[in-house]
Amino acid sequence: MGTPFLSRRDFALIAGTAASAAGVRAQAGSGATSVVDRILRELGGEAPASTADGFKAGDPNGAVSGIATTAMATVEVLRQAVKAKTNLVLTYEPVFFSRADRPATPGGRGPGGLDREDPVYRAKKKFIEDSGLIVYRFHDRWQARRQNDMVTGLAGALGWKGHQVNGSDGLFDIPVATAEQVVTGIRTRLKLNGGLRAIGDRTARIRRVLLHPGSMTTATMWTRYTEADLIVAGEVREWENTHFAADLFTAGEKHGLVTIGRVVSEDPGMRLCSTWIQSVLREFPARHFDAGDAYWRAV
Amino acid sequence: MTAREVVERIRKNVGIPWNEQSYRDTFKLGNPDAPITGIATTMMTTFGMLKRAHEQGLNMIVSHEDTWWNDRDDTKDLTDIPLYKMKRDFVLNNGMVLWRMHDHMHAMRPDYTVVGSLRSVGVKGGENATMRPGILPIPETTLGEFASRAKHLSGIRAFRCVGDPKAKVKNVLLGPGYATPRMTPEADLVIGGEQQEADGGFDNVEYVRDANALGIPKGLIMLGHVASEEPGMEDLAKWLGTFISGVPIRFVPAGEPFWT
Repeated sequence: MGTPFLSRRDFALIAGTAASAAGVRAQAGSGATSVVDRILRELGGEAPASTADGFKAGDPNGAVSGIATTAMATVEVLRQAVKAKTNLVLTYEPVFFSRADRPATPGGRGPGGLDREDPVYRAKKKFIEDSGLIVYRFHDRWQARRQNDMVTGLAGALGWKGHQVNGSDGLFDIPVATAEQVVTGIRTRLKLNGGLRAIGDRTARIRRVLLHPGSMTTATMWTRYTEADLIVAGEVREWENTHFAADLFTAGEKHGLVTIGRVVSEDPGMRLCSTWIQSVLREFPARHFDAGDAYWRAV
Repeated sequence: MTAREVVERIRKNVGIPWNEQSYRDTFKLGNPDAPITGIATTMMTTFGMLKRAHEQGLNMIVSHEDTWWNDRDDTKDLTDIPLYKMKRDFVLNNGMVLWRMHDHMHAMRPDYTVVGSLRSVGVKGGENATMRPGILPIPETTLGEFASRAKHLSGIRAFRCVGDPKAKVKNVLLGPGYATPRMTPEADLVIGGEQQEADGGFDNVEYVRDANALGIPKGLIMLGHVASEEPGMEDLAKWLGTFISGVPIRFVPAGEPFWT
């Protein structure tokens, strides 16, 4: 616990209403657990019954010097967080290479899991601990309350802020262009290297776009493809949505699909997360670090 | 010969007990008891592939992957989609019949999808490979050089790489399709078809990125699901020809769906 005198909730109430910046830092209550509790209280909502959110590395009671957000706490992102002295890292995706986010327990599910002696796991964990970083997975609660930020964040990064179709959850009317021109714009705006893949008619006229950060299911595509000229998603399954988009193209239908990478599609929304955190926790610096496009193409 | 008779011959020659529980390796559409004019093997029953098979006069499709954009080929939610009707009508009106061969291919010895994928990217020693071939050593090279050579050899246009192009690699783990293997401390190059990027059973992309950032050279190549299993379906066509005669048997590519 952050403080021997107050429950986490009590402290959160005090810290959230009355404590000055200097006052908070002077107290044990600036421990990461208390800070996260405050963030969750400000966010509202409830944790789903089964959640992957939680502290994954570092000392949950360690003092917080600042808050970093990212779509994925890669080593490169963590190094930037150290440099910026924002040691509480809120990551949308796992830090330790799987949804389990920790080594498999001995005698557990066997070859699929991460070995506790794995050198990459050990080195990353050691870096986090030696640097005084604290990593918290902030996915389910953020998504449940602020999915719209994940969408508008991506739209903003693409230069489509203010283009959202009124009352829609992810539709944007953008300046008319060919699919090829739109895709070139996406690649440039998001600084993509090799992660973008497009399916459909390059010459199709694009006006309405459906933005779907993260992973898009095939059922979502079946029910929504007619709403937009182009779907921009994080990732899909190739035997599902990609197959469907290829068949649409064969049938002469003008509905394209572009996947930009799951993590890349989530970075802009997590940038908005840091802006929101800064607005509710003014005493800590809050920064965002893009995980960025991991992929490149062979030449 | 009918499509059902073709499947009977496959069952007799597959060399492993037939898995009656497989929901994948079944007829998907068309009349199994009508005479066939020819067999097209393919990685995925895309609409484009169906048209090309029909043009070649091949009316039985043996496909590794799905027809209806989901693994179970469940069509209950598709009936109002014009594309579904168009594709279904194309198959029925042209007297085509669709059968899937997935689970048995991965259980066969060798697994042609693995054999074909290894061959296509220039990894030797996988001629009799099964589903999980383990680490295959290659002459030491860099990730960038390996990827360039693999691109040239395979003709795959849109595959994605992760890791330092200068990373030295010599121990390959390969699994085509969605069976991209987990990177291990012993391997330094994982080659797969596709894989969930994050929050899955094992997130190779992040692992390989971080390994390189921490000074541990590793590489990941994602060939694409279709591209990674097409060579195996070409091999399957040849295998079918060893016990089926009288009708043409050809590999008809689904083809990479991506622009670049």
